[in-house]
Amino acid sequence: MSTGQLIDQTAGPRAATSSARRPAGSPRRPTSLRTRRARSFYVFTGPWVLGFLVLTVFPLGYALWLSFTNADGLSDNARFVGLDNYREVLSDPATLDSLWRTGVFTAITVPLTIAAGLLLAVLVNQPIRARGLFRTLLYLPAVVPPVGAALTFKLIFDRDSGAANGALDAAGINGITWLVDPYARYVLIALTVWAVGNGMIISLAGLQDIPRELSEAARVDGASPWQSFTRITLPLLSPVIFFQVITGIIGSLQTFMPLLIALNPTPAGVTAVPESNYFYMIHVFAQYFANGRYGYASALLWVLFAIICVVTFVIFKLSKGAVFYSVEPEPTKRKARTIGGGR
Amino acid sequence: MTFPTTGPLDRRRFLTVSAGAALAATTLPACATSVDDGSEGSGAKRGSATVTVMTPDDEKKAFQAAGKALGIKINFIARDETRLNAMLAAKNPPDLVRGLGAVETPYFAARGLMADLDPYFAKSSVLKVSDLDPVNDVWRYDGEKQGAGPRYGMAKDYSQDQMFWYRTDLLEAAKLDRPSETEPLSYDEWLDMGKRLTKRRLGKVKVYGMSAAGLGTFAQLMHMTASAGGSLFAEDLASVDLTSPEARKALSWYLEYARADVGPNVANPNTDGWDWPTYQAGRMAMAGDGYWFGGAIGGDPKIAKVSRFAPAPQLGSNRVSPCFGATGYWIPKEAKNKDAAWQLFEFYFAGKPAEDRAAGGWGIPSLKSLRSRMPQGTEFQKQALRVQEKEMEHFSVLSFTPYAQVTALDGIINKVLPRAIKGKTSVGKVADELNELMNEQIAKGKELVG
Repeated sequence: MSTGQLIDQTAGPRAATSSARRPAGSPRRPTSLRTRRARSFYVFTGPWVLGFLVLTVFPLGYALWLSFTNADGLSDNARFVGLDNYREVLSDPATLDSLWRTGVFTAITVPLTIAAGLLLAVLVNQPIRARGLFRTLLYLPAVVPPVGAALTFKLIFDRDSGAANGALDAAGINGITWLVDPYARYVLIALTVWAVGNGMIISLAGLQDIPRELSEAARVDGASPWQSFTRITLPLLSPVIFFQVITGIIGSLQTFMPLLIALNPTPAGVTAVPESNYFYMIHVFAQYFANGRYGYASALLWVLFAIICVVTFVIFKLSKGAVFYSVEPEPTKRKARTIGGGR
Repeated sequence: MTFPTTGPLDRRRFLTVSAGAALAATTLPACATSVDDGSEGSGAKRGSATVTVMTPDDEKKAFQAAGKALGIKINFIARDETRLNAMLAAKNPPDLVRGLGAVETPYFAARGLMADLDPYFAKSSVLKVSDLDPVNDVWRYDGEKQGAGPRYGMAKDYSQDQMFWYRTDLLEAAKLDRPSETEPLSYDEWLDMGKRLTKRRLGKVKVYGMSAAGLGTFAQLMHMTASAGGSLFAEDLASVDLTSPEARKALSWYLEYARADVGPNVANPNTDGWDWPTYQAGRMAMAGDGYWFGGAIGGDPKIAKVSRFAPAPQLGSNRVSPCFGATGYWIPKEAKNKDAAWQLFEFYFAGKPAEDRAAGGWGIPSLKSLRSRMPQGTEFQKQALRVQEKEMEHFSVLSFTPYAQVTALDGIINKVLPRAIKGKTSVGKVADELNELMNEQIAKGKELVG
């Protein structure tokens, strides 16, 4: 028996595993699979968890705290106001109007962009000449930065010097004040639908994932192209459409584009956004930086967060029977045990 | 909730501890905001040679040169109101900030965000209080009124913002006489000229007759009300009254101006962003901008040849010609390098950059000793200086409320007026709505300032 073994026996099991007392040259105890997996977990999730905590949880928590105060961010006299800000959210006509406008915009643009994207995807999925060129051209607007696109639209639709009224002028038609009410909303919808390339690419990827044999078999069975599209293509594409609906609604409820079409993206500029484009996020920005109401604006953000959660939950529930997954969902653990013989 | 301090860190515990750390971090700002020792230089790192300056890009060169001359490293941040508010809220402001003294000083000073510069002025050998133009008083606030109390900043230059420029070529084409150089037009006369100078085609305005945008609609209304003998703000600056006869007269004029569509307005803003590109392109005959606009005009000899300057119009018999900008710089109370910022401040306001600015024609210098450097090489510059010197007799400070930022009040106007301009809402109703919304906003600010 070596000296090392003696020390290990007298010091107990804890000391026996200590590498500090392990005699030189003795083999390292193999790390268990469980420990190695745990280490990998920490190493790979650590940076993300840190980023999530610092950049997401902390700002959210801070905004939550602010939402119960009348803070303006600058004064030391801010005080706790309880649920006053939330009560005001539910009774402030400007807030409710902006929320309603945002909802209507979402109800119009989300189906429109998905339908337009799907239509374009079906078209550029056809075996036609220069298909790649068409795909590129149609996708191009989605690559243009939103600020650039907004500025371009602002120039095109300027009443006195814009190209749109220039064209009307050439035809002897009176110019339109596009960038103010009531036309401002149409310009915004046009700008949103113009960048339909993103939806087209997603739908195209979905279309290319559908086995061609299915539609060929349908054709052999005498199905018309429309029947083939509605009975085969659309059901198989439903998860892709569902994804676009969810992300589209969330993105649309947070839309900030009107500010970019406004005169300038500053507190003064935000207050000059035409009423028909005065959306919820514009209202939030105005409350924060034009009115200096950090507490109220934070409450507005938390209410939007809650609305998005509820809307997403409802859509998930409603879509249960409408979305067709070609791959069976994984069985739950309990079911797996049953299938596996209840080991 | 307690966490065991020993034992292996399993995944569940890892996430729990992380969430706990985030929660703790969330509560820290709440504690931090209540900490203020009130000392002037709290947190200052004296002797540091880096100064953070928040300024527009066009001022970068001047500060770079100043920094080089003084051996100070300059860290630039582009001027951005949103970012400034966020930095002030985080108690990590720039060391030197560009701002509008006339409308911002009461707001920031009342919240204790500006450093008192009186001790610095007292020690300065180049910035003598006796040499300061009276306009610099807009950078003072004693807790109740503007124009008295500590100095919190200084104007780089200024203008009487309700004066206007006109293009003689467009006036001649419309067979209109040039306005007097000494006697102000009435606002009605000015609007009438604007209507005659406006050219349209198929619903589009080819040439705007005028621009009464100035430095925002609220400032415009403030001046008109004052020149009619009233005041928008109550004496304690804690409320507005747009229902007074003078304010209603001002509102009526603005509604008529906007409905006539003879110039950019809140219902149809200028997409160029400001008057110069429109004026330069011959699409605006009269621009309601002060002396500073001459800096832009001076850069284009063709436009300079046909441009002339006129006194501020008057709505009533009270001749006032205010300044709503007095753009300059201030040092935040929480600035980390106040002494170095002051060195830069002195050089910028009394050194070569100040001399260059005075000669540039972009505003009246804020040091009396630099007045003689104002440009007068060309006919338009001579005329502008002549008119400006006469107008100086009518300079007046119109105090702004410490309880709201001008963007908030302009925001309310931007919301209420477009509907009134397009509809048939009576002036009385518009005034009532503006009163209600603005006073609500001001009251919320007053609650915080105390």
